[in-house]
Amino acid sequence: MTTKAEFFAGIRDQMRKTSGLFPASVTTRPEHPAAEVETIRRELAERWPETLETFRAEFERVGGVFDRVAALDEVPAVVARIARECLARELVAWHAGALGADLVSALGARGLAVHEMPADETAAVERERLRAIAARADLGLTGADLAIAETGTLVLVSGAGRPRSTSLLPPYHIAVFDRTALVESLRQVGVFLEAWHRDAAPPGTGAVINFITGPSRTADIELTLTRGVHGPKEVHAIFVERGIRG
Amino acid sequence: MSDGDLGTPFRQRAGSAMKDAFLQEALTIATTKFIGLRREAFEGFPEGEALRDRARAIKEATLQRLDHHLETLVGNVERLGGQVHYAATSEEARSIVVDIARRTGARMAVKSKSMATEEIHLNEALERAGITPVETDLGEYIIQLAHERPSHIITPAIHKTKGQVADLFRRELKRPVEADPEVLTRIARGELREKFLQADLGITGANFAVADTGTVVLVTNEGNGRMVTSLPRVHVAVMGIEKVVPSFTDLMVFLAILAKSATGQKLSVYTSLVRGPRRAGELEGPEEFHLVLLDNGRIAQLGGPLREALYCLRCGACLNVCPVYRQIGGHAYGYTYPGPIGILLTAMLEGPRSVKDLAHASSLCGACADACPVRIDIPRMLIELRREVDDKKIAPWRERVVFKLLALVLARPGLYRLAARAGRLLQRPFAREGTIRGLPFFLDEWTRTRDLPVVARRTFQERWASEKGFTR
Repeated sequence: MTTKAEFFAGIRDQMRKTSGLFPASVTTRPEHPAAEVETIRRELAERWPETLETFRAEFERVGGVFDRVAALDEVPAVVARIARECLARELVAWHAGALGADLVSALGARGLAVHEMPADETAAVERERLRAIAARADLGLTGADLAIAETGTLVLVSGAGRPRSTSLLPPYHIAVFDRTALVESLRQVGVFLEAWHRDAAPPGTGAVINFITGPSRTADIELTLTRGVHGPKEVHAIFVERGIRG
Repeated sequence: MSDGDLGTPFRQRAGSAMKDAFLQEALTIATTKFIGLRREAFEGFPEGEALRDRARAIKEATLQRLDHHLETLVGNVERLGGQVHYAATSEEARSIVVDIARRTGARMAVKSKSMATEEIHLNEALERAGITPVETDLGEYIIQLAHERPSHIITPAIHKTKGQVADLFRRELKRPVEADPEVLTRIARGELREKFLQADLGITGANFAVADTGTVVLVTNEGNGRMVTSLPRVHVAVMGIEKVVPSFTDLMVFLAILAKSATGQKLSVYTSLVRGPRRAGELEGPEEFHLVLLDNGRIAQLGGPLREALYCLRCGACLNVCPVYRQIGGHAYGYTYPGPIGILLTAMLEGPRSVKDLAHASSLCGACADACPVRIDIPRMLIELRREVDDKKIAPWRERVVFKLLALVLARPGLYRLAARAGRLLQRPFAREGTIRGLPFFLDEWTRTRDLPVVARRTFQERWASEKGFTR
């Protein structure tokens, strides 16, 4: 088997043979990404309505369903309506701490069986059991850490209380977000990612960051667009005007 | 040679593809659609051209310090609890993955679409070791059931009708199946969902790997990449060394142009940034994470003539615009990577002998270089490959003699004039209405697929000489 030393020696041998095809440099990274994140947030505090409008248009273009409510206490009614429309009975939800709000009892009162995911490390057997619940649930309820207007994309950071499966295994996915998640462009997302990596704490402590741009899709058979091949066939985003965390 | 389709010569493979009426229609519809979608995506994205230049510069800059960026990647993956393996050849890569599977007691492996694992023929090796590989991208799943190879980088089952897919499902699943893409997709979802939940091992490629953060990036539309990296207890990612990018900031440049070039989407549905095994508090994620760094001919090209082909993002845009690919499809090329870039990658992986015919399977029109998101000059390298197969005496001797003679004549004006006069005489029996449709002996190699214009009654040189008296 090739060792690391041999592998890298081979690379360096070849690198010595050429100075490359043309002078080139990598992209300059933000020097203080956390400060730049604050600048982006401040600027968007002024023009978020336009950004939200762009997000809505792009999100709908990729097949998402957009809803807007004035305050958090209206969210359960919207979730219940969506559940009714897609004949969903059983729902898995991110932990209240990750969602930023406790919606379990309000959703339960509307006749939904809600499983709130735990916020702490659990034993392997318990993790297995919870995954099985997510696999049979009709609907997954999550937050969104970023909502990218340019592409209509939701960004979800995994971690404790924010399982990856909530937005993946059930056939319907609802993400609740507010204007603190809104960004305009992929370039701005790069600044957030650098900040989360370097000096600001990321929203979740898990190993995965997922960008979700509409429902799961394929065109592998005769280029016919089909939704929900492995992931959800419907993705809903509910925007809370007054902010989730008050 | 390990590829299955190479019993027949390239010309024959291409010929039968061109006689396959369904394939012809499917290719035209698919490639035309992708070309349109790509054009629209970039038309609505004015900064796209500048980003393509930026992406190209990042690729070149990364290669110039490849050792540094790979060391950084390795350090970060290990810091996050992952293990890194080094594969010089496809054989080494296969045994690394098989060993991991054996050691962890894996019985079944779910795979998300990956050209790198196609390239190393991993599935056969897993099967031999008693581990069942399951392709989970719908197109790849169909191809696997049919025991075929992908015919397009992005839509591997582009050459199959829904009727053929339904027949396949009927045979494999032993139940009636309606020939409707919606129904077929639902069946595949059900079948594969079981596998995701049962599998012990998840195998992926990597669209990118971010050195600075130890992140493997997977781009899919179906969500299988997320399943494969979240549900099994072991995740193995196999990546060519050229997939490394320095930072998240660089990554965003590529994400902004990759899907637009491939399918015309602004982003693919799922982009997953995966950093090592499951963390405390997470419900899902593997207990073990392995990264296999694959050389397989790449390292030799860092200082070689095919260096620029290492920029490739595997988007498939050059396939769709290529007049040759559009006629013959992916299988006729005979190797893992089809299309214009595929010829270069085949030469890289298998050596110049493998492309003695393929090097000529291009009209050098340049459409591929125009469509390439990182502006790889594919025609330049194809010409260099043609020279190489000639220099190394890989091309047939008659071809080499003809081109030597041609070079001799073209370089000597006196000889050229003589040849023109001789040609005018010799062409008489073969010329019809200004063209030569067939030549005798082995010269018909040229005229079998193209017409040759006749030598003019008066050559340009002769006209120039006789009109010297003409003044402005």
